[in-house]
Amino acid sequence: MAAPMRHYTYREKMAQANREAKATLIVLALTVVVWIALGFGLSGLDIQLFHTPIWVLGGTIGVWIFSIIAVVVLRTCVFQDFDLGDEEEGKGERHE
Amino acid sequence: MNNASGLVGLIPIVLFLVAALIVSIVIRNRSRKASGGFVKEYFIGNRGLGGFVLAMTTIATYGSVSSFVGGPGQAWETGFGWVYMAAVQVTTLFLLYGIMGKKMALLSRKLGAVTVIDVIRARYRSNAIANIAALIIVLFFAATMVAQFVGGAKLFEAVTGYSYVVGLCLFGIAVIIFTTVGGFRGVAVTDAMCGVAMLVGIAVLAGGILNEAGGYTNIMDTIAANHPQMLEPLSAGTMPVSLYFTQWLLVGIFTFALPQSVVRCMGFKDTKSLHRALILGTVIMGAMIIGVTALGVLAAGVLTDDLSAYGSSIDNIIPQAIVQTLPPWLAGIAIIGPIAASISTVSSLLIASSSAIIKDLWLHHAAQKGTAVTEQAVSRSSQIITLAIGAIVFVLSIVPPDVIWKINMFAFGGLETAFCWVFLGALFWKRANKTGALLSMAGGVATYCICMAAGITFFGMHQIVIGITVSFVLMVIGSLAGKPSEPDALEPFFPEEEKPAKAA
Repeated sequence: MAAPMRHYTYREKMAQANREAKATLIVLALTVVVWIALGFGLSGLDIQLFHTPIWVLGGTIGVWIFSIIAVVVLRTCVFQDFDLGDEEEGKGERHE
Repeated sequence: MNNASGLVGLIPIVLFLVAALIVSIVIRNRSRKASGGFVKEYFIGNRGLGGFVLAMTTIATYGSVSSFVGGPGQAWETGFGWVYMAAVQVTTLFLLYGIMGKKMALLSRKLGAVTVIDVIRARYRSNAIANIAALIIVLFFAATMVAQFVGGAKLFEAVTGYSYVVGLCLFGIAVIIFTTVGGFRGVAVTDAMCGVAMLVGIAVLAGGILNEAGGYTNIMDTIAANHPQMLEPLSAGTMPVSLYFTQWLLVGIFTFALPQSVVRCMGFKDTKSLHRALILGTVIMGAMIIGVTALGVLAAGVLTDDLSAYGSSIDNIIPQAIVQTLPPWLAGIAIIGPIAASISTVSSLLIASSSAIIKDLWLHHAAQKGTAVTEQAVSRSSQIITLAIGAIVFVLSIVPPDVIWKINMFAFGGLETAFCWVFLGALFWKRANKTGALLSMAGGVATYCICMAAGITFFGMHQIVIGITVSFVLMVIGSLAGKPSEPDALEPFFPEEEKPAKAA
């Protein structure tokens, strides 16, 4: 049975969204580092796997796998569930 | 040309388009029963997108026909360096959802916003910014839509043997009708269908190429013998590091600011849907982009002549690979992938263009003047405008301009320049104000357009570097020099600490 969702105020929800955005930027920076390391970094090695240079596998599939692991970690450790609704919803324009 | 001619090659794409039309009609009939009003349903699908549809509609909108034709064609010529460069796009989905996702979802509900311009208008309290944004969206989207139509119809002609105009009429009219009928929700669901079709198209073509070449090992041996530079990241100097850098900006980092992607962050149901889309989208995006671009390299094991033997255009490589490696009925299935990429991008841009005109210009103007607009008038006008924009783009595509692929990338950079700092300032920088946003959007886009037209570059890098830098500088200078935003405009974006209740 899933744990009950924590109640957040609107301000807390916006603050949490800020934390998630910052964590996303950290993941971006790490992805850039991994992309450089597994691509350009490995291109000097004369190693092949499945008739394919190791830098090709690292710089494409390796980066892809890293990004999947990173977003799973983001989801698990940083991103939080909360209700997107607000009691003041829709106070803007009235053509809805 | 050895085309997959005849009805056999045509049947799969016709069936796919008929299915998309039926889905749109069903969605329209269901949405009539939904509460929330026409505008909210037609332009944002009543904020009801689930995780899978959210991920697929974002991917299908982002992945265009050039992802299927131009990119793999370049990879055929350049090698694995192009696939390595395409891999930067694995960041696009998590950047969009992580940076913009929840803030746009919360704000759009708080403000009752249906379009991205609603949010920009509320934050900066400026009709001028909203009007310029609407103009930029309509113009750049129109250019992109023409590019999609032209790319799709050319591919159709090359693979099926039917004429360019037949192809354009077939899927052009279909996409205009199902977008007009289905609205945002219809677009999102048919996008999901297109996304699946794109994956199927990649798998079918991969099978055809591998079979024709006698296996992966044979292909790699052929490449190593004929074009060893294709196995180097810099491809013997044809892929300089500056190209990698600008591609990181153009198709990687700054794609989170594309308004056609951001609007999807206003349409999902709940945070669980966003989280599901975050993971699913990153998995599928990587498979699709790396897979489809790698097909171009693998095609080098099958299409071994010089480019002149394939019409001297890299855009002919994938159509040639389809025709030469697949029987007609499988070619008909494979071609659904790129056609689906084309129509899913067009449908998303069409509905966003229509919302810019109806919601951001007309309805806002009517509200300001105090003119009452009936729901029936809004409904009729929205569909007429969607149909009219689609028809204009369709007519412009009948005689394709030569520089169409350049126009596509030009529009991409222009939209990023216009919206990147305006969005980031709105959501994350309290000091950002009307002056900064106006200067950033108008000045950045003007600079970018002038540099593109005059061929001015910075160390040979794409003009996005100049445009995005000027746009950033103008945002900072304008915001520091101009009057700060009104506190009540800032409140939904930067809510203050709630004051504790006084003790009795």
